[in-house]
Amino acid sequence: MSGKPWIGALAAASLLAAAEPVAPLGTYRPAERRHWAFVPRSEIPPPRFTDARDRAWAASPIDAFILHRLQKEGLRPSPPADRATLVRRVYFDLWGLPPTPAEVDAFVRDRAPDAYARLVDRLLASPRYGERWGQHWLDVVRYAETDGFEYDTHRQDAWRYRDYVIRAFNDDKPYDRFIQEQLAGDELSPQDDEALVAAGFNRLGPLRQNAGNQEVASSRNEVLTEMTNAVGAALLGVTLGCARCHDHKFDPIRQSDYYRIQAYFAAVHDRDIDKASPEERKAWQVQAEPVEAEIKRLREAMNKAPREERGQWLMKIEAMQDKMPPPLPAIYTVANDPAKKSAIHLLARGDYQHKGDRVGMRPLGVLLPDGAPELPEDTPAPRLELAKWITHPDHPLTARVMVNRIWHYHFGRGLVSTPNDFGRMGARPTHPELLDYLANEFVRSGFRVKHMHRLILNTRAYRQASSTRDAAAEEKDPENKWLWKFSRRRLEAEEIRDAMLAISGSLNLKAGGPSVMVPIEKELVAALYKPAQWQVHKDPREHDRRSIYLIAKRNLRLPFMEVFDAPDFQVSCPRRESSTHAPQALELLNGALANQQAARLAARLEREAGTRADRQAELAFRLVTGRPPAPRELALARNYLATGSRREFALAMFNLNAFLYVN
Amino acid sequence: MSRHCRPTRNRREFLTDAFCGFGSLAFSAMLAEERARAGAADPLAPKPPHHAAKAKAVIFLFMSGGPSHLETFDPKPLLNKLHGQPRPKEFGEVKYQFVTADAKLLGTKRSFRPAGKCGLPVSDLLPHTAECIDDLAVIRSCHGDMVVHSAAQYQLFTGRIIPGFPSVGSWLLYGLGAESRSLPGYVVMPDPHGAQEAGQPMYAQGFLPAVYQPTMFRPSGRPVLNLDLPPGVKLEERKNTLALIRGLNEANMAADDAEFNARLNAYDLAFRMQTEAPEIFNLRNEPAATLEMYGIGKQPTDDFGRRCLLARRLVEKGVRFVCVVSGGGTGDLQWDAHSDIEENHQRMAAQTDQPVAALLKDLKRRGLLDSTLVLWGGEFGRSPESQGAQGRDHHNLGFTMWLAGGGIKGGQAVGATDDIGLRAIEKPYHLRDIHTTILHQLGLEQNALSYMHLGRKERLTEIEGQVIREIV
Repeated sequence: MSGKPWIGALAAASLLAAAEPVAPLGTYRPAERRHWAFVPRSEIPPPRFTDARDRAWAASPIDAFILHRLQKEGLRPSPPADRATLVRRVYFDLWGLPPTPAEVDAFVRDRAPDAYARLVDRLLASPRYGERWGQHWLDVVRYAETDGFEYDTHRQDAWRYRDYVIRAFNDDKPYDRFIQEQLAGDELSPQDDEALVAAGFNRLGPLRQNAGNQEVASSRNEVLTEMTNAVGAALLGVTLGCARCHDHKFDPIRQSDYYRIQAYFAAVHDRDIDKASPEERKAWQVQAEPVEAEIKRLREAMNKAPREERGQWLMKIEAMQDKMPPPLPAIYTVANDPAKKSAIHLLARGDYQHKGDRVGMRPLGVLLPDGAPELPEDTPAPRLELAKWITHPDHPLTARVMVNRIWHYHFGRGLVSTPNDFGRMGARPTHPELLDYLANEFVRSGFRVKHMHRLILNTRAYRQASSTRDAAAEEKDPENKWLWKFSRRRLEAEEIRDAMLAISGSLNLKAGGPSVMVPIEKELVAALYKPAQWQVHKDPREHDRRSIYLIAKRNLRLPFMEVFDAPDFQVSCPRRESSTHAPQALELLNGALANQQAARLAARLEREAGTRADRQAELAFRLVTGRPPAPRELALARNYLATGSRREFALAMFNLNAFLYVN
Repeated sequence: MSRHCRPTRNRREFLTDAFCGFGSLAFSAMLAEERARAGAADPLAPKPPHHAAKAKAVIFLFMSGGPSHLETFDPKPLLNKLHGQPRPKEFGEVKYQFVTADAKLLGTKRSFRPAGKCGLPVSDLLPHTAECIDDLAVIRSCHGDMVVHSAAQYQLFTGRIIPGFPSVGSWLLYGLGAESRSLPGYVVMPDPHGAQEAGQPMYAQGFLPAVYQPTMFRPSGRPVLNLDLPPGVKLEERKNTLALIRGLNEANMAADDAEFNARLNAYDLAFRMQTEAPEIFNLRNEPAATLEMYGIGKQPTDDFGRRCLLARRLVEKGVRFVCVVSGGGTGDLQWDAHSDIEENHQRMAAQTDQPVAALLKDLKRRGLLDSTLVLWGGEFGRSPESQGAQGRDHHNLGFTMWLAGGGIKGGQAVGATDDIGLRAIEKPYHLRDIHTTILHQLGLEQNALSYMHLGRKERLTEIEGQVIREIV
């Protein structure tokens, strides 16, 4: 593999001082290097078909790859989904919101050949798109706005990173740039707020802080571990974290590889850049000064007190610190501090107290020629070097991993069904040539995510019906990995909540800015170690904003989100579960959110459909399911509405499979 | 069943695609395991254990904040002799959260008496527990890795010092399913004084599907979220609504649609929980003598007594894992006796001792103790050195927990700390050994109970635990 341009940056010899034992550079067997995800991408032309109907179906390269494989398995694609189904599918897919009845009608009526392609373009051009696809990225990078652990301190300005991600998707920021800014924005553009905010990526992990004797080395090790693991899981799609304690058991990732990646972060430290206006700062000082004075007094008293009373004094100081006003606006980013650079060693069992050989910076050895040296220790912008290696057009993993994520979110299942694990323990691609075709296309387009959306959404594979009943196909491919139909999917937690708000007419589409805390049961607040942290937003309109703008607090997940499988904010989540259990039913039947939105929907039905039950049922179905009721449904609804309340009827609508699932 | 509900689908694929014979035997066994545990149409259906189980349920009496071993089950005469002196060098170095190297040893004011037939010493803080000593296996050599609350609490519940991993209760529910269908399978009853440092992630299911999450019985008039009908809705009306939901859902599904059938079942179960679960909180039918035994209706035992009695009622109905928490909120409202070990522990013991003993006796007389494993303890113990004049700091290198019932051999102490109670020196047992022993008594093997997550086969104990053979 020597001579590949993307390892050219490594030509310089290591300058590592040899005072300590240094880990050997290691060698990798040919069999290890041959793993499918580590070899260069192929350029296999799409299959051709002799049959005219096949040629018509497989007009796009993606469809050609899919159809070829279906035929090989003795399967046939499904007919296209009807237009009402398709428009609802693509709205939820790109926006995470339902189309309005008028939007459904407009598409159903638009018979122009390019109607669907225009619809896709329109959805991609809307800010709603970034609010949906940004969430996917936030899942992957375990975004949260609090530290976790016992203080679970709020990171007041973490939302800037969330907004950065949403903006990046909306602006179709090239993915290579997107990665470079997150890993190394401070090195890349130190004057650019956008890049500095992006580099907050390196601080997204949970952070343990506690009073008393600080285990500085232990905490530092935890911070470096979080940064290193994120590179493996989110960017490279390999389980790098498994090599922290020992050589990877299944993949050719040595423990030394793990710590060589960690070495890129050796000088990284938190940096908060003050963004307050002079007025803001003044107002803050007025509030803070008396508290600071009291803290100072307590500290002095502690210093005079007997040493063994230190603990009690520290706890008093801590209680006083809770009374400080919220911090001033700031950018949470990172900076290299050469003076505080950590020496990176192999750690036996990942334990910071068991130091082994020293290592310097180098990317994964299996992707380099044997004997490739480490980077010089004084490399000026180390993380940018790492980012450039990761985003090099020829990198075998990066583009494959990202196009697979995109495919996964469109179809509910990746071509590689383990999106964070392209190693041997992960799944193999169902369609390896297609995966490479997509990755090549991605790189060729300049790493444009929206280009990939257009390619994928305009395929026949994506537009198939999900309702096909084919016992033979079901038997042969129950998981639909060959895509003989579109896979029905349950809405995700945020989609359910956002859709209820949209349908009831109360969704507040205000975009961006600080996150919102919504009213929750007082018992949940009481279950916080510091209940005062939960400050409900005073403006009730804020409570109706899209879920991505609600606070992501590590120690208090909203029960509604939790019950519908939203991730737990602690580790990278590449693929959400979709479980079915009774507490979901209780949430949708008795929960405050469902009942509040049902009341609003009931009012809307009366307002917009008048008093006649038929009209109300008709509107309810069109709003909630994207289609009019079938005769049997209408009969059931009419019968219920003859005596039942509108509110309970509206609540029932939110409990329908036809609402909770996308066909 | 559709792809959505089956967390195992990647494993099957990975077996057939990725391994092509290589190591496939072991992996097919693992796959069978995961399919048996989570892949069934009903992920909560009871599942057979790996080997014959001694216990069906666990009650964890969580003494939050870290009760002192030195004031409860581990008398150290030498500590009293050395009171006020620095720790002799031969005991070695330790790191505490607050106490520094120059702290002085603190003797205990408690007195210990041999209890029961076995004659194990129990302190005068716990006279009621002492009556049950012949059922207790007292592990005096427990140790963990962390000396701060949050990380130690994560380790106690999940085996890891960071959040994001499933708790023991979730693992048991995943491994064995639920016996009761009208009650949640994993219940936590927090202390009304407040929460723990580690917060909700400590109890949670981590990366396991949400179906294995804990249900909190919160200290309020509405202990379980969403169990009550919304204000203004009558039961008859709600029944009609449920019939409408079922009718509309059935109108739009194939009869053999496994996922949609699971959803219909979830609604039936939700309705049953709504009508039957509240009954569990109704203690009116309990005999007065029982209430009295638990200390219900008097202070300071009323609250903890109620929750212990609820724990018994829950396991009686087939609930798998019940955690009853003593202590919550700021440190001193837990067993976190930084400033005054005497005041704190007398208060905490007075709230819990009688209810704990009542629970053991009640389980025993109902024949439930044989199948119910009871675990008592905190995330760590307390320091032999004093913090301030009369407090004790956290201490994780040697402390006491006890187990009872569920096939545990009582009336014995296992392991020992050194002569000042600093370090577990004889038969040291890590928190993961406690986990392994719990799994073992419930018929589960620590390596077989696994779940694939981010490319790793995750397990509660990281396969490093050992069963505490002396007590099983």
